[in-house]
Amino acid sequence: MRGKPRKLGKLAGLIVAAGLFSCAMPTWAHHAFTAEFDSSQPIKLHGTVTQMEWINPHAWIHVDVKGDDGKVTNWMVECGTPNTLLRRGFTRNTVTVGMEVVVDGYKAKDGSNRANGRDVTFPDGRKLFLSSPGTGASDDKPSSGAEDKNK
Amino acid sequence: MTKNMTKKWAKVAVRSALLFGAPVVLLSPARTQTPPSAAKTRTSSAAAAQTNRALRGQADLEGVWSIAFLTPLQRDPALGNKQFFTPEEAAAYLKKSSQELDADRRDLPPDADTALAYNQSWYERGTKVGRNMRTSLVIDPPDGRIPPMTPEAKRRFEDAHAHFAAHPADGPEDRSLSERCLDFPQEGPPLLPGGYNNNYQIVQTPNYVAILAEMGNKARIIPLDGRPHLPQNVSQWNGDARGHWEGKTLVVDTTNVRFNDRSHFGINYDGLTDQNLRVTERFTRTAADTITYQATINDPTVYAKPWTIEIVMSKTDDPIFEYACHEGNYGMSGILSGARADEKKAAEQSHN
Repeated sequence: MRGKPRKLGKLAGLIVAAGLFSCAMPTWAHHAFTAEFDSSQPIKLHGTVTQMEWINPHAWIHVDVKGDDGKVTNWMVECGTPNTLLRRGFTRNTVTVGMEVVVDGYKAKDGSNRANGRDVTFPDGRKLFLSSPGTGASDDKPSSGAEDKNK
Repeated sequence: MTKNMTKKWAKVAVRSALLFGAPVVLLSPARTQTPPSAAKTRTSSAAAAQTNRALRGQADLEGVWSIAFLTPLQRDPALGNKQFFTPEEAAAYLKKSSQELDADRRDLPPDADTALAYNQSWYERGTKVGRNMRTSLVIDPPDGRIPPMTPEAKRRFEDAHAHFAAHPADGPEDRSLSERCLDFPQEGPPLLPGGYNNNYQIVQTPNYVAILAEMGNKARIIPLDGRPHLPQNVSQWNGDARGHWEGKTLVVDTTNVRFNDRSHFGINYDGLTDQNLRVTERFTRTAADTITYQATINDPTVYAKPWTIEIVMSKTDDPIFEYACHEGNYGMSGILSGARADEKKAAEQSHN
């Protein structure tokens, strides 16, 4: 054996963690959001977009949020991989500076002004991105494409 | 040059290609002298490449391929040895799994809700089961389940779980390979689908096959020249692959997979691996728009017996996008600072 038993321990723990998350289905994503965000601190942010970081492994939307006291705070909101949306025809220009959005997610455990974008919508409730989960592969063409991509 | 002359030269070029291979074709008039049209040039080039491969007995595996399907890795035990869905059963299964995986649902407890991370639009798992209508990716053993671990491997597994529970995020080394942007299930071997980026580009030359995985942004460069594997003391995250053709099937034999506390296979399936691991993959072009992919995982010190998966890779016209994972992996610092915040909170609670 090349590995030490203690080290193997960590490996198998990861496997168990992955197993609990995935069960039989391939649900796996890049990282564990429960490790980064606090599920006991749900948060809702109404703000305007100041920047769209269209980067991997996860895109981040920055928004200015005005508090009850009138003070403006900038928040970072974590989303998924841009590759998926690029494939469906969305681009970094789909989300523009000044756009009003509502973020419904969970606050970062470390207390910083970060949240995950569990739901990102326009103020009227429409999803920011809306598209079919199809892949574009020959036998999985999206049935309804990116008709709402410019919303 | 007239059209007739062009045709004549093209015939000469094809004959030359049959005799001497691609280099002659590249110098043929079809490419070097006034081509009839760009489209025809591309056709000619593709035909030359096809001829080149055909001369060397290779099937054509080139292109971009997707493995985004909802077929589960292991079969639901309730299905026993039932290997294939009927169309009705597949529809029922897809309805159920799509509901379970729907990231737009908000009716789950907070932990599960947080784990879904973001809206459904960011996921790309596909909407169907594989074209082979299998009830699981595992096709052998017949029950569609990964064989049980050996008692020793099971003991290590449980020991490992206990350790990880106590040290979830002391440092980045404690986190998964994927969170560290080092390795992903889709990269293989074996290739396994995930939440998104389930796309591959295959490129062939006479002496190598390259498989670029979108997830992880890495290419496996597989020599076909019969060279031996690396020495046993050299290990790599994606192992050391050697390929050869068996008829129209590309067979890839991989050993020397890196084995330590972050072994590649740890994130791929619910088991362990060790230095005895060997993966044998078989790529067969079974239709114009499919490659049937099989991989046999043989690790006698961990599993009671070998097991095999099958995936029908599906052709796609989509491009591969770069997945530059380190570009903005803010998540890692967020996870570690989150762990420190948890520790601080726990210490304060115990002090009070």
